[in-house]
Amino acid sequence: MSRGVRSFVIAPTLLMLLTAYAVAADDYFEKSVRPILVENCLRCHGPDKQKGGLRVDSRTALLTGGESGPAIIPGKPDESLLVRAVRHQGLKMPPLKQLPDEQRTTLAKWVKDGAAWGTEIAKPSGTGQAVRKPGQITDTDRAWWAFQKPTRPEVPKAGNGWAKTPIDHFIAQRLGAEKLTHAPEADRHTLIRRLTFDLTGLPPTPPEVTAFVEDRSPDAYEKLVDRLLASPRYGERQARAWLDVVRYAESDGYRLDGPRTHAWRYRDYVVKAFNDDKGYDRFAKEQLAGDELYPGEPDARVATGYLRLWPYEYNQKDVRGQWTNIQNDITDVTADAFLGLGMGCARCHDHKFDPILQKDYFALQSFFAGVSFRDELVFASAAAKTDYEMKLAEWKTKTADLRANLDAMIAPLHKKVDATLGDRYPVEIQTILHKRPADRTPGEQQLYELAMRQIQELDYDRASTKLSKERKTEYDALKKEFDAIEKPMPPLAMVARDLGPKAAEVVIPGGRKAAVPVEPAFPVVLGYAPPEPAAKAASTGRRAAFAEWLTRKDHPLTARVMVNRLWQGHFGTGLVATASDFGTLGEKPSHPELLDWLAAEFTEKNWSAKHIHRLIVTSSVYRQASVGASKTTAAGRNPKLVDPDNRLLSRMSVRRLDAEQVRDAMLAVSGELKFDTGGPSVPADKPQRSVYTRVLRNTPDPLLASFDAADGVTSCARRNITVTPTQALLLLNGSGTLARAEAFAARVMPAEGKNAPAGVIAAYRHAYGRSPTTEEAADAIEFLRQQVGVASGKAVTPEGRKKAWTDFCHALLNSNEFLYVD
Amino acid sequence: MSAHIEHPLTRRDALLKGGAGFGGVALSWLLGNDARAAEAKPVDPLAAKTPHHKAQAKSVIFLFMEGGPSHIDLFDPKPLLNKLHGQKLPASFKPVILAMGENDAPLAGCKRTFAQHGKGGLWFSDWVPHMATCADDLAVVRSCWMNGINHSGGVCQMNTGSILAGRPSLGSWVSYGLGTENTNLPAFVVMQDNPTSVVNGPRNWGAGFMPAVYQGTRLGAGKEPIPNLHTPTAVGDERQRQKLDYLAKLNQKHAEARPEQTELDARIRAYELAFRMQAEAPEAVDLAKETPETLALYGADQKETETFGRQCLLARRLVERGVRFVQLYHGAGSKWDSHSNLDKNHSALCKSMDKPVAGLLADLKRKGLLDSTLVVWGGEFGRTPMSEQGNGRDHNPYGFTMLMAGAGVKGGRAYGTTDELGLHAVEDRLHVHDLHATWLNLMGVDHMKLIYKHKGRPERPTLNEGEPFTRLVMG
Repeated sequence: MSRGVRSFVIAPTLLMLLTAYAVAADDYFEKSVRPILVENCLRCHGPDKQKGGLRVDSRTALLTGGESGPAIIPGKPDESLLVRAVRHQGLKMPPLKQLPDEQRTTLAKWVKDGAAWGTEIAKPSGTGQAVRKPGQITDTDRAWWAFQKPTRPEVPKAGNGWAKTPIDHFIAQRLGAEKLTHAPEADRHTLIRRLTFDLTGLPPTPPEVTAFVEDRSPDAYEKLVDRLLASPRYGERQARAWLDVVRYAESDGYRLDGPRTHAWRYRDYVVKAFNDDKGYDRFAKEQLAGDELYPGEPDARVATGYLRLWPYEYNQKDVRGQWTNIQNDITDVTADAFLGLGMGCARCHDHKFDPILQKDYFALQSFFAGVSFRDELVFASAAAKTDYEMKLAEWKTKTADLRANLDAMIAPLHKKVDATLGDRYPVEIQTILHKRPADRTPGEQQLYELAMRQIQELDYDRASTKLSKERKTEYDALKKEFDAIEKPMPPLAMVARDLGPKAAEVVIPGGRKAAVPVEPAFPVVLGYAPPEPAAKAASTGRRAAFAEWLTRKDHPLTARVMVNRLWQGHFGTGLVATASDFGTLGEKPSHPELLDWLAAEFTEKNWSAKHIHRLIVTSSVYRQASVGASKTTAAGRNPKLVDPDNRLLSRMSVRRLDAEQVRDAMLAVSGELKFDTGGPSVPADKPQRSVYTRVLRNTPDPLLASFDAADGVTSCARRNITVTPTQALLLLNGSGTLARAEAFAARVMPAEGKNAPAGVIAAYRHAYGRSPTTEEAADAIEFLRQQVGVASGKAVTPEGRKKAWTDFCHALLNSNEFLYVD
Repeated sequence: MSAHIEHPLTRRDALLKGGAGFGGVALSWLLGNDARAAEAKPVDPLAAKTPHHKAQAKSVIFLFMEGGPSHIDLFDPKPLLNKLHGQKLPASFKPVILAMGENDAPLAGCKRTFAQHGKGGLWFSDWVPHMATCADDLAVVRSCWMNGINHSGGVCQMNTGSILAGRPSLGSWVSYGLGTENTNLPAFVVMQDNPTSVVNGPRNWGAGFMPAVYQGTRLGAGKEPIPNLHTPTAVGDERQRQKLDYLAKLNQKHAEARPEQTELDARIRAYELAFRMQAEAPEAVDLAKETPETLALYGADQKETETFGRQCLLARRLVERGVRFVQLYHGAGSKWDSHSNLDKNHSALCKSMDKPVAGLLADLKRKGLLDSTLVVWGGEFGRTPMSEQGNGRDHNPYGFTMLMAGAGVKGGRAYGTTDELGLHAVEDRLHVHDLHATWLNLMGVDHMKLIYKHKGRPERPTLNEGEPFTRLVMG
């Protein structure tokens, strides 16, 4: 973001003066100054290279400067590093020759006159925020609310009589302060539909609705909550939100978008973690450092799949470049997901708005500097291992001859690859490939592994394509025979571990040659001492140190960030609206005390997500009606005007179903939904829940994509909610929805001659979770009567009847009442 | 245009802040209650918006030669290359990382014949005789460079500014920033000359972190260019109409009970828009009304040029109807990628592309549309002066050519240079960010002021880099 923002805002009059002035100054700059900079400096301090972190191609860049501080101080040539460097005072620039006197004088004069730069000086600041001083963290920075340890606040007294949980008192206090009031409780049909969608992502079935509506016990609602929290559907729903945050996908991205056939194990791990209500501290630790902290536990090893979700390009000759991208990707997502801090900007420079230093970015990256990525066999139990090994041995015996023959054919080709190993890669990589393993530094070992991963895929695995035509035919025939013998599926998981006790060096790129390695450390503004990771034979202990720090109960961010995500899942917007940005660019919390209270509650109740869900959904604020609730209060306050976004929650907001809910609800209502839990993903045309459908980065499912599903490429903190004609066309004319409608119709259409109203009632109850009013039922029956006529032609036919019912069901699936939750 | 500083966080916000009315036909049978509609006034995120400064270009047609055409065999002649044919790249040229890694391959001379064309004496090779006739309208920018050494990163960056996935496509930025002049058609349309998937697939025209409403719509081949546009034949119009009537009634009742939920109107309106699209799109993509002369101009009457010729003609029809951004992929699925047999490959591709492109330029010009339409021609990168596999060339993101025409661009001359072998851009180096800034600038958009707030951060189309290359219009 080097040119992102100008450093000052100029008042209008001054601006006019400057503009006039700038014309003459511009001329001088363009004619005399710019050529000097371009000819002498730009090669090392321009768009290609930024030696010493400095660029000289804009005024802002010069004012910001590089590692040695600002390059120019307008009006003060003698104090400006640029002028001092060309004079060879201290620094010597350009390094190999000194500029002629005349050019040195020109630069000094230009700085003295204010260093006008083309028209840039007249442009006001882009966002009006001041640029931070590089490298500095101030007391004001440290005082930012999200960097303070959360303490459990007193629960306010407001809301007595209405409040069902402490949450309500906090909400009531804010509403009271704004002279607003809460809405009445929603009716039971609304409540069960809202609750079931929120906790499980599905609509309630008609029997579930009946059971709840007719349950007269005083704790009917609480029992419903318990049932839903215990349902395996709960984990499927909650996992999806986490998968958004960690940009989960089952393909590599890039050109081939190669499938990741084993990625689902991580997805299943997440579903199970939510269903088991695994503490969030443990959940975080397993993903970041499961191999280091819980080496014997299969789940914890699968959890490190979190570190494997980066896009990958199998044919990238710039191996170092790709490795850097992977490291950056892990760093960015970790900051977003766990810390709720957008740190990406600090990769290239100290953050301009947030108190995040470039050093902080690489210190965070340094925690991951020892990693090695593997696909490993992970057995759920000893028995599973024995079983697999037995089957494998059988398979090996059966295929022994075939394998020997195939190998013999391929061996010479593999030898060729051995002989020319890596000669298509840059010299740096070739050198690394030919080093003895013991001579490779950890950083080189990582590049070696990445290059070898590519060479394996590109050269070894595809060696048979290089066979002569005849040999290929022979080979293919053998291969066919070989493939026909079913191989036991290896329980492979994409995991991460460390290379060993030593990590690769992390340095800030573009810096000087003698750059000092950046050791693991926490963002300076948070004020924690750097950790002392305990290295073991197999690992650096770095990720473990990060995970332990992250999950301290008094961590200022971890618990707040997660409870806020859970809150967002119920109200559409978090208490902090920017769920992955608690920094100064993010929004401040609408109810800071409530957020802290929830965070305290979270950590004290073993970081239990179910506990937080229960607290939220059993509260009065969650149980409010959404409809007809925006009435002007006795105090004359209209919530629609005072609080148009409903951030104070004087009612519940109506929400559109998200992508997976739309698809799953259509399948549920049509009766087609299959509840197979887990395992390899299936194509979107299979009636499994959307969380189990294949997520390909380059070819997202059109229905899910049009309803704003996450793209699996970058961390998604909150879905967009768009309303587009594309969606309308998809639902109206798309073959998928029509097929759902047919199945739905087959489910509710009464036998011929039987009572149509019963079918209409059944359809309403499936789609909307309620029975139709008399008027609605009459409308539906009238529509069916007409439509049967249109669809049948002259006389009513069974086919025409089926079509009419399909149209009726199709209309329900297209309707707002189906697609929105009150 | 302060609208881009703050993106509304909620739909409700958007709807309350928005003031744009419906315009056009109100389908009262679908919308039901006019009074309600008038009161709610849902804003269309694609409503036309005022640019930052006076726009030269109302629309863009981006002719994307996918796979990387060889600039040194088309528009950037290098006599030294022929002299050094068969030799190693001299040590004075900075070495590069090659996608295929044939690191010591000899230089390959260019087999084409170049000649100067037009008043400006621009060089064109004999592969593009028709484009050469448009020499005085074409600006040949020879000093482009980018970061992607592979197709995926290259195509991604040429579309989104970044080699890494996840950012909105340029067409999405333009739709977001300027809206569309015709809400009955998609604002951002993509076509490809063959059914093979473009590298990276639909995410090339995806909206990235922006709402899905800004994503490109791919016009497919065949009877139904916009997916799901038509009522399925098995349903039929009458059933569909009655069904829509009934649906409108359901939605109307639902909305009446929820007067505070204005976003529900937006959904009702989406159906209205879909309906209008159904009415207008078929006419827009129907070439039956074009004269044989026009069809011939584009080569739509000849086998080799028919496909791309028809698409170029479609592009003109869409631009005429106010579509903001049209992107045509020629050689979809990396067909321009010539690691071997470059001659054969490029000959055929040039043949199918040259006349249609020239026809498009000529037709836009005679219809008076060229002044307000920016036409861009180019791939994700160029090709190396070094050979590959004897008779091919590897990817060259370090220096390559793009062409621009229309929208006030001064044609008939070349801008920037590559080195003497065409390997690196040297003078007036223009990174993809500069190119994007330039195109946006022509559309009246300041690339630094077009801001979408994402995760609390101001995101800009050029990742805060780049400068418009104003000499293109200033001369």
